[in-house]
Amino acid sequence: MTRATLILRSLRFHARAHLGTLLGAAIGAAILIGALLVGDSVRASLREMALMRLGKTYLAATTGDRLFRPALANEILQTNETFSGAALVLPATASSGDGSARANRVQALGVEDKFWKFAGQMPTFGDISADGVVLNASLAAQLRAKVGDTVLLRVSRVTQLSRDAPLASQDNATAALRLKVHAVATDAEIGRFSLQANQVAPFNAFVRLDQLQRAAGALNSANLLLVGREPKADQKSIEVASKELSKAAVEQLRTAWKLADVQLELRVDVTNGFVELRTPRIFLDPPVIVAVTNAFPGAQLLQTYFVNELRAGNRTTPYSMVTAAGAPFVPAEMRADEIILNQWLADDLRAAPGDTVALRYFSVGTARTLEERTNSFRIRAVVPLASPHADRALMPDFPGVAKAESTRDWDASLPIQAGRIRPQDDRYWKEWRGTPKAFVTLAAGEMMWSNRFGTHTAVRFPLPNGATGTNALDTLRKDIEVKLLTALDPASVGFRFDSVRAQALAASAQGQDFGGLFIGFSFFLIAAALMLVSLLFQLGVERRAQEVGTFLALGFTPAQVRRLLLGEGAALALLGSLLGAAGGIWYARAMLHGLSTMWSEAVGGAALRYHGAPGTLALGIAASVVTAVFTLWLALRKQAAQPARELLAEENVEPQALEDGAPKRSRSLAIGLIALLLALTLTGWAFAAADTAAAGIFFGAGALLLIAALAFMSAWLTRLARTDAATQLSLAKMSVRNTARRRRRSLATAAMLACGSFLIVSIGAFRLDENAGAGSRASGTGGFALLGESALPVVHDLNTRAGRDFFGIEAKNVEEVSFVSLRVRDGDDASCLNLNRAQKPRLLGVKPEALAGRFTFAGKVDGVLEKAPWEALKRGEFYPIHGQPLAENEVAAIGDAASIQWALGKKLGETIEFTDERGRSFKVRLLAALAGSVLQGSLLIDEAEFARRFPSEAGYRMFLVDAPSNRAADASEALTRALSDVGLELTPATRRLAELNAVQNTYLSTFQVLGGLGLLLGSVGLGVVVLRNVLERRGELALLRAVGFRTRALRRLVVSEHAALLLLGLAAGVGAALVAVLPAWFKPGAQPPPLSLWLTLGAVLASGLVWTWLAAVVSLRGDLLEALRNN
Amino acid sequence: MSSPEPLLLLEGVAKEYGTAAGPLRILEGLSLRVGRGESLAIVGPSGSGKSTLLQILGTLDHATSGRVELAGQNLSALDDFQLAAVRNRQIGFIFQAHHLLPQCTVLENILVPTLASGGTASAEAQQRALRLLTRVGLQERLGHRPAQLSGGERQRVAVVRALINQPQLLLADEPTGALDHASAVNLGQLLVELNREEGVTLIVVTHSAELAGKMQRILRLEGGRLMEAK
Repeated sequence: MTRATLILRSLRFHARAHLGTLLGAAIGAAILIGALLVGDSVRASLREMALMRLGKTYLAATTGDRLFRPALANEILQTNETFSGAALVLPATASSGDGSARANRVQALGVEDKFWKFAGQMPTFGDISADGVVLNASLAAQLRAKVGDTVLLRVSRVTQLSRDAPLASQDNATAALRLKVHAVATDAEIGRFSLQANQVAPFNAFVRLDQLQRAAGALNSANLLLVGREPKADQKSIEVASKELSKAAVEQLRTAWKLADVQLELRVDVTNGFVELRTPRIFLDPPVIVAVTNAFPGAQLLQTYFVNELRAGNRTTPYSMVTAAGAPFVPAEMRADEIILNQWLADDLRAAPGDTVALRYFSVGTARTLEERTNSFRIRAVVPLASPHADRALMPDFPGVAKAESTRDWDASLPIQAGRIRPQDDRYWKEWRGTPKAFVTLAAGEMMWSNRFGTHTAVRFPLPNGATGTNALDTLRKDIEVKLLTALDPASVGFRFDSVRAQALAASAQGQDFGGLFIGFSFFLIAAALMLVSLLFQLGVERRAQEVGTFLALGFTPAQVRRLLLGEGAALALLGSLLGAAGGIWYARAMLHGLSTMWSEAVGGAALRYHGAPGTLALGIAASVVTAVFTLWLALRKQAAQPARELLAEENVEPQALEDGAPKRSRSLAIGLIALLLALTLTGWAFAAADTAAAGIFFGAGALLLIAALAFMSAWLTRLARTDAATQLSLAKMSVRNTARRRRRSLATAAMLACGSFLIVSIGAFRLDENAGAGSRASGTGGFALLGESALPVVHDLNTRAGRDFFGIEAKNVEEVSFVSLRVRDGDDASCLNLNRAQKPRLLGVKPEALAGRFTFAGKVDGVLEKAPWEALKRGEFYPIHGQPLAENEVAAIGDAASIQWALGKKLGETIEFTDERGRSFKVRLLAALAGSVLQGSLLIDEAEFARRFPSEAGYRMFLVDAPSNRAADASEALTRALSDVGLELTPATRRLAELNAVQNTYLSTFQVLGGLGLLLGSVGLGVVVLRNVLERRGELALLRAVGFRTRALRRLVVSEHAALLLLGLAAGVGAALVAVLPAWFKPGAQPPPLSLWLTLGAVLASGLVWTWLAAVVSLRGDLLEALRNN
Repeated sequence: MSSPEPLLLLEGVAKEYGTAAGPLRILEGLSLRVGRGESLAIVGPSGSGKSTLLQILGTLDHATSGRVELAGQNLSALDDFQLAAVRNRQIGFIFQAHHLLPQCTVLENILVPTLASGGTASAEAQQRALRLLTRVGLQERLGHRPAQLSGGERQRVAVVRALINQPQLLLADEPTGALDHASAVNLGQLLVELNREEGVTLIVVTHSAELAGKMQRILRLEGGRLMEAK
């Protein structure tokens, strides 16, 4: 005989009584385990999606508009285990052949056959034909296209010179391809290929690389280099493998790359005996200049610029090239304010040494904005039009200009006034082309013409002293290539290998914790199940009072008795948890079904599958056992505390009922009055300050009212317990007075119902309403009517007539319409629509002044101006940390509060690491957070900083459109039509806000549904309370029966006293909650709480009444008089 | 008859309960000496405080004032934990209702008190249980549940359970109250024999003059006071 035997015997003997406890433990465990399994499933689904979108890709180098030879990939990590490939990826739009369906923001991928090696599962559709396209499933669905159908793909043409550059042509920016759908790639066939961590599949169109190159005007070019290998299973080995691969890839790239891969060319000038380095991008990247000057200190840097006018006195010469250089073009000692003219210009201006010449030129702003500036120089000398100054090769190959036979053929996008070009200018062009007419020092050139694309247009390497001839030049050319490529850091010119696989897995692993979220949502269900466990177990134990008394009489201590009982409870908890594990799997599947259907807005429409890890199941079971045992321990704390003689005699009376309740009542009344006063004060203050939208204040007032109601209820129950309250006895009064017999138990029941109903009703106060003050600049829309995103960049200012004319936007359609254009650096969506943890969020470049007075700030770090928070984005404007300015490698940023807190897991003042276009890392410091805005998902930085960090990101791809509300729809239609070639997609700002709000609102709905279920389960507990109460009073009820009361009357007595508790609890909770949701009622267009909520509360009331009635029937069943006789 | 070194000593023991109408005194300054191996019956009318006195002797209740000593140990000075140990080791209880655990067998019921001091019943305890069960004629009923026994048998199991830890003091509260006459006579006889054989001091509270008559001493409790009746 052992204590364990005793526990087992008791479990078996009291099995029927324990059934309810077991069921409660099983329900609680099922919900807890289910919630954890939901978390597992979401994580695993995200991981699965991440691996699907990457296939076998480990590393990716995205070079953007810097193009390299696809053959470069053939020389990097081609082993039995690893492989690499190149692709040309361009933004595009797509439409069905008949134009009935359209998709913007399409990713056009020019791929070679070997690209499919990256797929998790080798595709079966074979090589893509010359006019074929493989769509991914989501694009095929969007276009309603199937194999054999025709689709139209419009891709952005590649330009060497940034489209933002003033000389870049804006014509033919896109090219259209009419293609036949060759196949639809499944997810396993890498159909959802994307480098961004998002569960939403992108729109992908795969075409043959050569075809896309032709269409985009980028022959033999690629801009995406991928490295893959057979995947390794665990996260750690992936990280290690990625690092090793990255190191090896960079090493092999350094060996294999050529100048063409960084868009550099070496031109050998045999006549003049030098080698020249230039780039079709016109401006040499600063890292190239650094590498050159380090490797060849004697190299000649050159900068040739197009100037608008040269003026001496009243004579002018329009549109000429001017070169900034060192010796031999200008004397080494020439000053920065001096200029050398060629003879032609000196004659044209009738100028001589010592005269002053004014130079007018365009300075490049952040966008394509051009500011005309003038600088004056003193003529130092006039040189003949002969070597070295008569060098037409000094002019870079400006597109639309370099190959023009005549000035009339110039096709530059500069605002050139053709009328100003004189016949002699045209003659000069025909004879001397772009031969510079004047020369200034390098210092002067850098001061005037440096821009974000670079400073220098060429570098010349003269032959070393004494060397001559073609061979020497060839040797020099090879030497330059080797040394330059050795000195150049691949990352600085776009070849930065990102460990995309490791990042993707980290993003999915650190994503939204749905396990925790669902434990929160299921809080009431779990609490209700545990309460049932506690109530039923206590009921069982109380019915074994004599047994407990016997143990005490036999010399067991109360603690020993409680341990014996807890042993039974623990066994029940274990068994219940094991049963609950099976239920948990079902619950998880049900929740996942809910997330895929009615709650799909909370997961951005992601397809989630059930994945239950055995470890999670074990953890869930353990947690359930611990929780249930703890609950039982709490329930047993007061058991065996009564004297053995009372227990043996079954005198189970709550001691408090006999105490004098006066002090307790006074305390309750005081608490109630204070809470009521505070609630009234808060509400009154909100009304007085006309701040009826402050949800927090009203929620606080509601909570205080609830406390007041419960305190008054406590006082009332205490008063009822006093004998003097019984002066006028009636059956009805008796039933109400009976609620005071077990004051604590009654209060706990009513409080549970009150708190539950309060929470599920008042949580509605936190529902986000996209229409609340939508027109206001302080609202989440910022007062903007529309939000637009284009697939291809828009380089024109849509606020100007020129910009509107370019797209053929009719003025009448955009009257009173203005735009705030934003530059976009693609990155992870850091909105709550993305379930993954954003690793590198999308960056938006904006002019801070354009957003002045827009949106509301949820938080700011100290020092951000209260009245002009957007100004904090400007460098030098703000001193955020301890009065120190931002460091050189830091950029100020503002983001949406939800993005910062949830999607990025950051706080204000913290930083996020980024790498700029030239491979330099910099930190984005979060200075302020917007409250619930349409800008959720991105971080905003100053456009000037953006251009500095990402000079190649041409144009704008995001637009905030201000339009009168009555014209927004027309403007939207007109703009969408006019900008269809760039794939502009306009969404009403309120709709975008609604999409973002839907996540939080869906969470709240989920909480309300599950909370309602919990409350429903909690109402079962009321039945248990009835059972306990009646069983304790069986003798007394028998007495009433003996003196003539009918059983029906007794049943009515029991039901009415407990129905009073039910009604009181619900009324207190709902009443307080209605105060909490007042702000929602004051909003324009406010909607009453949903019908489902009232139905839930009605169901709780009905369920409570049914259980109460059932409990009364069961407990009053049988011969009551027998109980009297026993007594 | 009292021995020079009493097992149980009561000096001025009083017990009162607070009521709305003022304190209600049940026992008034009782003094009593009970020797080792002695048998004693306490009789008196209903409500006279017999059971209250027995519960005070059994440490299930506290005296409002006065002193209770068991084997020279002042029970009033002990805490609840120590009192539980006293109940377990030095006192055996027999109630009118047998209070056997319905879920346990006869043998297990008997061994339950041995579990309070250790998680497992010792082999020695098991042997003693078997010996006592044989002594009371229940050796064939070891594996039966209380529900399978007659009232007399249940009460005999309760007697054995009370003796399992070899207590010095055996307290019986109306042990024959729920039994038929024949069973009551048998149980009375058994108690007397065990008192003699086991050397345990026996105090019985009873209304039964027949049972009281089998005891060496009879005390009458009336008006809160004890009077020697035999």
